[in-house]
Amino acid sequence: MLTLTKDRALALALLLIVAVMWVESGSIAPPTSWQPYGSALFPRILLVVIGIFSLLILVRSLLVKVPKRPGAKQLIGEWFQSRRTILALFLLFGLYAALLPVVGYIAATIGFLVTSLALLMGVDSRRKWLINLTLSCSLAIIIFVVFRYGLNVWLP
Amino acid sequence: MTNFFLQALAEVGTPSVLGLIVIGVLFGIIGGSIPGFTVTMAILVVFPFTFAMDPVSGVSLMVGVFVGGYSGGIVSGVMLGIPGTPSSITTVYDGYPMAQKGEPGRALGIGVASSFLGTIISVAVLVFFGPLIANFSMNFRPWEITALIVFALTLVAGLSSGALLKGLMAAALGLLITTVGYDRNSNLRFDFGLPAMGSGFEILPVMIGIFAFSQLLGNIEKLKDEKSETQKIDTNVTIPYGQIIKDMAGQKLNTLRSSLIGSLVGALPGTGGTVANFLSYDQAKKFSRRPEEFGTGIPSGIVASEASNSAVAGGAFVPTLALGIPGDLPMAIMMGVLILHGITPGPMMFEQNPVLVGAIYASLLIGAVVMVLCNLLLVRWFAKISLIPQQILVPVVLMLCAIGAYALNNNLFDIWVLFIFGIIGYLLWKAEVPLTPLILGVVLGDNLERQLFRALELNESWMTFLTRPLSALFLALAVASILFSLYQDRKIQRLKNAALRENI
Repeated sequence: MLTLTKDRALALALLLIVAVMWVESGSIAPPTSWQPYGSALFPRILLVVIGIFSLLILVRSLLVKVPKRPGAKQLIGEWFQSRRTILALFLLFGLYAALLPVVGYIAATIGFLVTSLALLMGVDSRRKWLINLTLSCSLAIIIFVVFRYGLNVWLP
Repeated sequence: MTNFFLQALAEVGTPSVLGLIVIGVLFGIIGGSIPGFTVTMAILVVFPFTFAMDPVSGVSLMVGVFVGGYSGGIVSGVMLGIPGTPSSITTVYDGYPMAQKGEPGRALGIGVASSFLGTIISVAVLVFFGPLIANFSMNFRPWEITALIVFALTLVAGLSSGALLKGLMAAALGLLITTVGYDRNSNLRFDFGLPAMGSGFEILPVMIGIFAFSQLLGNIEKLKDEKSETQKIDTNVTIPYGQIIKDMAGQKLNTLRSSLIGSLVGALPGTGGTVANFLSYDQAKKFSRRPEEFGTGIPSGIVASEASNSAVAGGAFVPTLALGIPGDLPMAIMMGVLILHGITPGPMMFEQNPVLVGAIYASLLIGAVVMVLCNLLLVRWFAKISLIPQQILVPVVLMLCAIGAYALNNNLFDIWVLFIFGIIGYLLWKAEVPLTPLILGVVLGDNLERQLFRALELNESWMTFLTRPLSALFLALAVASILFSLYQDRKIQRLKNAALRENI
């Protein structure tokens, strides 16, 4: 069984994207007498180029000897374990984007800053909490004032 | 020329615009001096603040960040021995040893003076060559522009440190991203049934997402791996002005050579400050009568490094303004700023917006003066700020990126675009895919498609791209750049294998 490497995973993911987009390109309006090249030609050229490069990356990755490693499932498990902070940050950002229109800019921003600062700085001392809360609240309000009153940009 | 420059100077000389240049320079220096933050990140963070400004104010603020950012690496390079930006790596070679010998003020002073002179010389290069190249490129028709964009993309992809295949693939992926939404014929493409996708992706959330997430989260990963200790530094620095004037008097040729190298490298697509930095340091060493002293804390090393990386700022504007083709990431974002303000960079800009071009010249010059004053007067503060931990910076910058993406159109969809492309950018970065060609593809995609089909509508034969001399030349250069980077990749691989064999 083949070991999953970065290059192989990249090539396979790209080939999948190319396949999905190629199928989707079928729903683009066909060429007409006044649009002889149609709107699908340019993306299709790019899809072919990406497909060829992905195949080359895949072939090249198969030519390189890779030491036997645990299965893909175990590898992905290990990766998730070692990148917990990164994944948590992504999750917090997604949550921030989702909450912005619901609770508004100030509450969502303070919430995002407090939780992500706590995640990265830790919460093991009163000093850290003090820095965290002061920074989160002051920054959220300063940015709001600058955008709303200084630059006339509405924030949700 | 004189007329529009004076008019631009009058616009830039107003207190509000001058204030913006000062803010831009200050922020640029801070961004450049924080290790791992980079000039590009500083530009991305400041960018949303320009949305509500008029073009001259917005561009002046951004130019201030450029000038400050390229000089910001001096502080952390000299005081901490860590380059604040990749473009100031060689500053550390001589700046840090000089500081360790008890002369941090001298090292900083020489660095700041060289940065100033480098910026001024690069503005002269921009003022001279910008209009010349723009004038020449006025003759370019769709075939030449298409071929030139292809050449720029292959050049950038080819320079992606030993990852040619991935670089080319990334450029194509960047171009593909621009095909989402309504096209030039008002036909809908790749909306996947989501109405919000109909208008396509805004360039900026895509760029910010791809670059900022990979950079910031990469910094967090490095922190976890390295477990860096808190550094204590002495920020009590005095600048020996007399000594610096004496030092600089003996560095005229080095300053000129390094600034010209920086300007030239800045004007080439895909290179930027880091390449300029190393090339100039290497040349200074080769031309020196005492090359063995480089790396021990001598003025020549600091001058070569700082004059060249600061000269990149002016040089990089040449292809962006004259051809509408940005050479590196900061310039790609700068192009985004101009487009956002309704200005299309390219040869026509010199005719249609001469005042804005003049405002860029004037902002660069004023920014250089402000940079010197800020660096000399506030060096202690910059040294302290450069110690801000990444754990605090990352959430704050992510939040600013989100607000920037939203403020672009007051549209929450843009935050989701930022988020999705943040994930994509991070995954591509983990797969060692160079991101600069991808971002350049995103910036140039629309224009490439427009020019390609305009060319084909004028003459349906694809062979015309090869029968027109300039177009053929650009395509030949594109092929040559790919072949050259293939050769370079092989050479690097051979050297690596040889080193491995020696170690065994």
